[in-house]
Amino acid sequence: MLELRHISKSYPTPQGPLCVLQGVDLRLAVGESLALMGESGSGKSTLLHLAAGLDTPDDGEVRLDGRPLSALDEPTRARLRRERLGLVFQQYHLVPSLNVADNLRLQARLAGREDAAWSRELLERLGLASMAGRYPEQLSGGQQQRLAIGRALATRPALLLADEPTGNLDETSADEVLTLLLELVGDSGCALLMVTHSPRVAAPLDRCLRLSHGRIAEASP
Amino acid sequence: MNAASQRTAFLALFSHYRRHPGQLAMLLVGLWVASALWSGVQAINASARDSYARAEALFSTGLDRIERRDGLPLTLDDYLSLRLAGAPVSPLVTGELELAGGSRLEVMGIDPLTLPEGSGFRTAGGTATLADFLQPPYRTRLAPDTLASLTEEDDTLPPLADGRQLPPLELAPELPPGVAVMDIAAALELLERDDLSRLLVAPEARLDLPQPLVRSAAENLAAPGQLTDSFHLNLTAMALLALVVGLLIVHAALSLTLEQRLGLMRTLRALGVSGRALVSLLLGELLMLGVLGAALGILSGVWLAQWLLPDVAASLQALYGERVGSELALPWHYWLGGLAVTLGGLLTAGLGTLWRAARLDVLGLGRAQAWRGQFLRQLRGMALAGGLLWLIAGGLLAWLERQPPAEGLTPGFVMIAAGLLGSALWLPPLLAMLLAALARLLRRRPLAQWALADLQLQLPRLSVAMMALLLALSANLGVGSMVGGFRLTFLEWLDQRLVADLYLRPPPARYEAAVDWLEARDEVATLLPRARAEATLLGSASSQRQPRPVNVYGVTPHPALTEHWPLLASQEDDASAWQAFARGAAMINEQLALATGLAPGQWLRLSSPTGPMELPIAAIYPDYGNPRGEVMLTAPHLSERFQTAPDSIGIVLDRQVAPGAIAALRRDLSQTLGIGGDSLIDQREIQRRSTEIFERTFAITRALNTLTLGVAGLALLSSLLAQTGQRRSQLAPLWALGVSRGPLVGASIAQLGGAALVTAALAVPLGLALTWCLVAVINVAAFGWRLPLHVFPGQIAATLGLAVGVALLAALLPAWRLWRTSPRTLLTEFDAL
Ligand SMILES: Nc1ncnc2c1ncn2[C@@H]1O[C@H](COP(=O)(O)OP(=O)(O)OP(=O)(O)O)[C@@H](O)[C@H]1O
Ligand SMILES: [Mg+2]
Repeated sequence: MLELRHISKSYPTPQGPLCVLQGVDLRLAVGESLALMGESGSGKSTLLHLAAGLDTPDDGEVRLDGRPLSALDEPTRARLRRERLGLVFQQYHLVPSLNVADNLRLQARLAGREDAAWSRELLERLGLASMAGRYPEQLSGGQQQRLAIGRALATRPALLLADEPTGNLDETSADEVLTLLLELVGDSGCALLMVTHSPRVAAPLDRCLRLSHGRIAEASP
Repeated sequence: MNAASQRTAFLALFSHYRRHPGQLAMLLVGLWVASALWSGVQAINASARDSYARAEALFSTGLDRIERRDGLPLTLDDYLSLRLAGAPVSPLVTGELELAGGSRLEVMGIDPLTLPEGSGFRTAGGTATLADFLQPPYRTRLAPDTLASLTEEDDTLPPLADGRQLPPLELAPELPPGVAVMDIAAALELLERDDLSRLLVAPEARLDLPQPLVRSAAENLAAPGQLTDSFHLNLTAMALLALVVGLLIVHAALSLTLEQRLGLMRTLRALGVSGRALVSLLLGELLMLGVLGAALGILSGVWLAQWLLPDVAASLQALYGERVGSELALPWHYWLGGLAVTLGGLLTAGLGTLWRAARLDVLGLGRAQAWRGQFLRQLRGMALAGGLLWLIAGGLLAWLERQPPAEGLTPGFVMIAAGLLGSALWLPPLLAMLLAALARLLRRRPLAQWALADLQLQLPRLSVAMMALLLALSANLGVGSMVGGFRLTFLEWLDQRLVADLYLRPPPARYEAAVDWLEARDEVATLLPRARAEATLLGSASSQRQPRPVNVYGVTPHPALTEHWPLLASQEDDASAWQAFARGAAMINEQLALATGLAPGQWLRLSSPTGPMELPIAAIYPDYGNPRGEVMLTAPHLSERFQTAPDSIGIVLDRQVAPGAIAALRRDLSQTLGIGGDSLIDQREIQRRSTEIFERTFAITRALNTLTLGVAGLALLSSLLAQTGQRRSQLAPLWALGVSRGPLVGASIAQLGGAALVTAALAVPLGLALTWCLVAVINVAAFGWRLPLHVFPGQIAATLGLAVGVALLAALLPAWRLWRTSPRTLLTEFDAL
């Protein structure tokens, strides 16, 4: 499904290049779920962005469905994201001009495969049904996070990349969201790569990796 | 809050512009342009007013004029016999002198001793004593700006073209530009004349004049500046439009900077800066920018005025015979006024912004949808205010329809202003409604739905720029078709009226000889004598009309003339109107018809030296460019009743005439009859000169119009560019969700192009309505005649194209930058959200 081969990434900073990832290897099979842990600033979001094709590595290769992303042109990569990926960003990135229901359906509709019943069920299960007509700025932080998750799930993606999807949620809500995510993985054979700080959230997942000093290692939650 | 913390807070607020220099530029450009156009026109008006005031002090201190009926100069004997009979008249001679170097100077010779007490002629003087003025070597009095226009470097008078010297110079700042005043003896000698131009007399003096002389009362002579009022009002209206457009930009820029600083303000409030302190800091910032913008604007305004003034002076001279100095004369209050208007405008534009900042709800900040709710309420207010303004405009129109012409100029402009502003206020609600309808229609297309929803969020910021665009576009269209229509009508009309190939003005003594000689020439097909006189239109018993002075014009109703002469209204048809005219009926010009309500079929009563005459009116004819009422008779009829010979002859040449015939005729005329070449004018020469006057008159209108449109384009461009960064961060999430840059760029171009197209499409009917108001209301009020309404599809298309072009350019620049942005930078920006 997803394969990162010897990825390196550095950011230019005033003090010279900051090396965030140094030869990271990672494989994720269909239907597999993986937790990515590591301290703040260790490069988790960077890795997720690379995996989604939002950014390009300095070195190494990202393969999705066996195809190297670097070989694809921009529109093809965009289509791939639209149709195969579900992204939950750390900062949510909801569209301020659209209401909750439209935000939730946005990617599914962009990909041309909206499933109205599934969207409604998601709204229901994420506890957003009563606020479908509101706009993102009228939601609490946790509600916005749930909406961001809903938007990613509404497309029934083949690969779900989630950056701390439960960071702003209380335990009960976090459990519900987690159940939802794992259900999807189980039902549709979707692969899940989830960044989290919480061992409790990481526990039910198949594997757990830890990122530190630019390198990755197997870990137990 | 102490000074240091105030400084800190101010710097924090102002640091916004360091991150967004485009917004600072937009703000300053708006202020600069608004104040430049406004103060430029005010500088022109102030200089003209200064010239008028000086001319008025000299010419219209209430002295009646005495001239000969036939327009010839008076003899010294005429003057002396009046003086001997005890009449308190004073002589005046005027003429032009050519100076070395080719410049021309108007010379007025006066006799201070016989001038009535307190007359401007007498008091306008310098430092020398009356004795110096009256005795050789005499004195030449002129204004410093006149002197400056005559000499290049030093402050001495140049000699005449033939080498003679003017009397010693004496500066008299209160004299009008271009005029030198000296004792009549000196003037007669320099002009090589022994006759007088006219006599002056105090209005209260009773006189018995011999028959060849007429007296024109001072009150009938229009004061300088009075006729030109409409011209200056026109300019002021254009400047006001530019000011409004500029202030709309300022308003847009201010709203944008405020909105983007809401987060910062919230932080400052949270850190302990009070709401009142925040408002006063913003006010300080406004004042600082205002003074800077006004200074820039006034400086460029003065420069603009200097650039335009020669054209304006030329048109005023050509249209109204008013001399306006070509150097700026700016009183001190001009500078203060410019500053006050700019600052006042800025505060008006910024008031809403300050008010919102003052009422800032600390937590509810930076929420686009909350602003949108507020905006929706605002839209309702705008629609209401717009409707109200339209009601006012409609009411004024209905009222104007029932007013006599020439009185509705200011109400006419108020009506136009109300109509334009009302339409501009309706634009945002209309756009919002259109967007909502489209959004419902395109619900199934997610990208289109997003683009429309996003445009709705942008609307509060965009609408002001769109309003500016609408105003400028419709003004451009309206004024453009007015000028274009005027041009078309005027040139066609000139062509129709100037049927003769040549016009001869023989000296009256040689008139008969000239006619005989011309009739004998083979190449001459027809002679069309013309005559002129002045008369008073008398009231009739049935109407309570006031007597009014009119010109009487005599023409020869030959088919060569009547077949082309356009008529506006006649009792039956044009042919029978001309037949009636040939039998002794009168025709009147449109000015007179509009001013008096006279119509074909009615009778008019006219004073004449041979007693009052009653004439039926056969038709009304257009008489563009003439400020006065005119009655037309056949030339023989006029000569008989007004005892004056024709003053000029139109010469229609044979069609098969050789190319050199005109030159030959000119030569023979001066050889056999001694009539100088100057008396023979080629028709093409008149056309050329009229066209030139026309072009100069509208040069400034065109210049201001184009500048205003440029300003609006700039407004749109800068307000869109100022949002580029924000736009990209709006587009980034969509890109991350899998919309590639192509469709994104397309969507943002469609957003702005569409909005501009709708605005431009609305500007077309508005511009046409404006044209109608200008030709049918303003023109009638200003000049007394109506213009036919012309529509120029090519011009409309060009304006539409320009608007959409500007919008597309404005959309393309950010789109191009988005297109060029590597995904990585996009992501960086995206992360910075
Ligand atoms: N655009 C950028 N330019 C320079 N440095 C960057 C940029 N983006 C991220 N960094 C740096 O790269 C490092 C990794 O950032 P990243 O966002 O991947 O961390 P993270 O593991 O997601 O942290 P957190 O758990 O706090 O979200 C950080 O030290 C950050 O400062
Ligand atoms: Mg992160």
